[in-house]
Amino acid sequence: MRLLAMRTTKLLGAVFTMLFVGVAHGNSAADLFLIKNAKIVSDQGISSELTDIAIRDGKISSIGKDLELSQDYQVIDAKGMPVSSGLFNANSQIGVREVSAVAATVDAATKNEHFTASLRIVDAFNPSSVVIPYNRVQGISHVLIQPSPGSGLFSGIASVVNLSGGDSVEVRQAAMVVRLGNTGSEVAGGSRAAALAMLREAIEDARDYAKNKSSFNAGNRREYSLSRHDLQALIPVTQRRLPLLVYVDRAADIERVLEFGREYRVSLILGGVSEGWRVADKIASAKVPVLFDPIYNLPSSYETLGTRLDNAKLLHDAGVTIMFTGMGWQSTHNAYLVRQSAGNAVSNGMPYGAAIAAITTNPAKIFGLPSYGEIKKGKEANLVVWSGDPLEVMSTPRYVFIKGKSIPLVSRASRLRDRYYSRIIESNKK
Amino acid sequence: MLRQSLLALTVASALTACATTPSNLSSVEENSLESKQESRAFDSTYTIPDAPRYFLEGATILTGTGEQIDNGNLLLSEGKIEALGTDIRAPEDAIKIDASGKWITPGIIDVHSHMGVYPNPSIRSLADGNEIVGPVTADVWAEHSVWPQDPNFEKAIAGGVTTVQILPGSANLFGGRGVTLKNVPSVTMMGMKFPDAPHALKIACGENPKRVYGQKGGPYTRMGNMAGYRAAWIDAKAYDKKWTDYEKKVADGDAKAEAPKRDLELETLRGVLKGEIKIHNHCYRADEMANMIELSKEFDYEIAAFHHAVEAYKVAPLLAENNICGVVWADWWGFKQEAFDIVRENAALLELAGACAIIHSDDEIQIQRLNQEVAKVMSAANDMGMELSRAQSIRWITYNSAKSIGLEDRIGSLEAGKNADVVLWSSDPFSVYAKAEKVWIDGAVRYDRGDKTVTPTSDFNLGIIDPEEDRP
Repeated sequence: MRLLAMRTTKLLGAVFTMLFVGVAHGNSAADLFLIKNAKIVSDQGISSELTDIAIRDGKISSIGKDLELSQDYQVIDAKGMPVSSGLFNANSQIGVREVSAVAATVDAATKNEHFTASLRIVDAFNPSSVVIPYNRVQGISHVLIQPSPGSGLFSGIASVVNLSGGDSVEVRQAAMVVRLGNTGSEVAGGSRAAALAMLREAIEDARDYAKNKSSFNAGNRREYSLSRHDLQALIPVTQRRLPLLVYVDRAADIERVLEFGREYRVSLILGGVSEGWRVADKIASAKVPVLFDPIYNLPSSYETLGTRLDNAKLLHDAGVTIMFTGMGWQSTHNAYLVRQSAGNAVSNGMPYGAAIAAITTNPAKIFGLPSYGEIKKGKEANLVVWSGDPLEVMSTPRYVFIKGKSIPLVSRASRLRDRYYSRIIESNKK
Repeated sequence: MLRQSLLALTVASALTACATTPSNLSSVEENSLESKQESRAFDSTYTIPDAPRYFLEGATILTGTGEQIDNGNLLLSEGKIEALGTDIRAPEDAIKIDASGKWITPGIIDVHSHMGVYPNPSIRSLADGNEIVGPVTADVWAEHSVWPQDPNFEKAIAGGVTTVQILPGSANLFGGRGVTLKNVPSVTMMGMKFPDAPHALKIACGENPKRVYGQKGGPYTRMGNMAGYRAAWIDAKAYDKKWTDYEKKVADGDAKAEAPKRDLELETLRGVLKGEIKIHNHCYRADEMANMIELSKEFDYEIAAFHHAVEAYKVAPLLAENNICGVVWADWWGFKQEAFDIVRENAALLELAGACAIIHSDDEIQIQRLNQEVAKVMSAANDMGMELSRAQSIRWITYNSAKSIGLEDRIGSLEAGKNADVVLWSSDPFSVYAKAEKVWIDGAVRYDRGDKTVTPTSDFNLGIIDPEEDRP
């Protein structure tokens, strides 16, 4: 009885607090948190000193040593555990790919030739995907969702989404995705040279269209290589308002793309870059960031002969800004394994802080997400309390916050696990 | 007589050879002759190189038998593990290696690899992993597709992998025979072939056969799959009887007994019925595993392992009861419907139920760090309150793997007398930062992180980017 009474009191207390705080600050007590004694993980590595972090209104409201706050805050004693930003996977299809072999659940690309650059993959994003809870309980809070190759040279527009499961779209237009190399060559009729020619023509057409929309619409303009919507989608690229994310692997192909970027005055991001290390200085001096999975080291094709595990180290040493995806082909269903890819990059010579930046602050800066990625006062509270070093395969999240909300560590997988765990325990008793 | 014997040697069939065996040989001698001749074609030509004795001193040793020895020593001699423990001393002639702060495990065994048959570069010209032309291709042998220059092999040994089972692909109901290889450089497949290792038979359940053959004469459904297996086993039983009758006649001294015509497909299935070939069955769903177990009882054969067994945790007690290994990934899922019910603790739940748990790669990238795959599962399981140790969990890629391919008497654990397949790790192999520093196969160093000359790189890598250098 006493226990029950206590519980009632506690519950009542919570309700009162919720009402009170709710009225006074537009906040519920459930959304006020104080993480004590955490080691901050940043692009400087894992801090040795202990810090407290307060969360309020979805943001980091204060940060410092031994914070004293009102009793409304739920206190989480991290006891020296590391706290990182929610991790960011820069190439995923979470929410647009549910079961890969079930076509109706996959909206990652279209065969429709009419929509290439104008494909906004985020229009198909499903915040109720089972892939979302599974990955956020493992520490991912944001992903760049990218379209797969369709029938044109341009795959479409990539967007940044968070994994809150609610209001998810963070950056609707983050990058225009285009694939050169083998994939582009195939689209262009069998030569990578033709693919580059197609790219030049598309940019020239988009510029021409931008200046002559009314005469085009009146039927007084030459034919263009792309549909009206595709040209419209490319205008921000021609104005350097939207980066062109170009997938390219071979060293020589990378150089051609850098030349194209200079000549056509578009801002570039390079994806893939298996042989990036061979032209690292050129990428660095062009100030072009790169996006790749550092786990690859095999020559899967003749354009990736130079793939190596220390590509990230060599690019970093040259001064290139790096973003990661991974791990391997599982970067949607296991988007969280980007941290295993990052850990292996560190294991192969990349500085620890640079690897953390590649899965937090770098994509934030490059894709225009100023409130995410750093653990500082006023920033959005996307935080993960880890059992240990977040790049270690043995570490797991203890608490996950997305936009200041505490995420229950439950997914369909954990439900299945619990169901069969108890059945095995029962069976063992027999 | 002589001509007949030569012919027998040429076709390399023991069973054909039986017809020409002088009747004055005892049946024991006959059997040994038989097995010798049967194994002649495509037999292993692997030899153990000369190597000094090695004494590894002061390491944390995970033995693969479920034990951890702290500050342990390990002595390798003449291809075998001579001794291990805390109190053994270095013989004078042994090369001493200071392993303090380092870890030692048995050589890692991957029971599901397509290295050599789906090599890099992954181009059609080199893709020889699946004879996809029909639902039953039990006649093909993966070893006949192995390209020993696949640059994947040397990357795998850099991750501590010493033994691999190479399986054919999974489109077919019966995909053909798998082969076990030692991960050593060789110009020929035979130079890598694990001597006297049983073949595998690859069977596939579920989505793949119905997807591939649904519009090509079937099977179109899972019940069609089952009908296909049963029809094949009925034929295999009839074939088995024909040969058993014939062999009995020969044994009884019937010199005129005529050998039935060989059928490569049925010969493989007969090998399973005789217990000589081990079934490695690609099977994701729990209910299908249960059906496959029923099938094995209907036709009286054993299943060694279910691979890609994403739902193994749902039938873990059943697998334990039937002595079948559940071979799983740490975390792959979602690529098809039958891979939807992921739990990251799958291997650990098998262990909990007393079943044989194995982690496989089926992948050119994951094979390079199976230690990390084990670490992820162990940590997930311990997070939910299980108490798995490193010593227990390492068996998922060592001892249990060896057991499923019928080699647990030779590899998979560090015990005196076993093959000296050993990995020396820079630190705790359950860490993402650990690296294999040295790898021994049969007591010879086959990989040394600090000395690239120990093992020659694949021919493919020579001068392919820069004429004076090797591909990294």
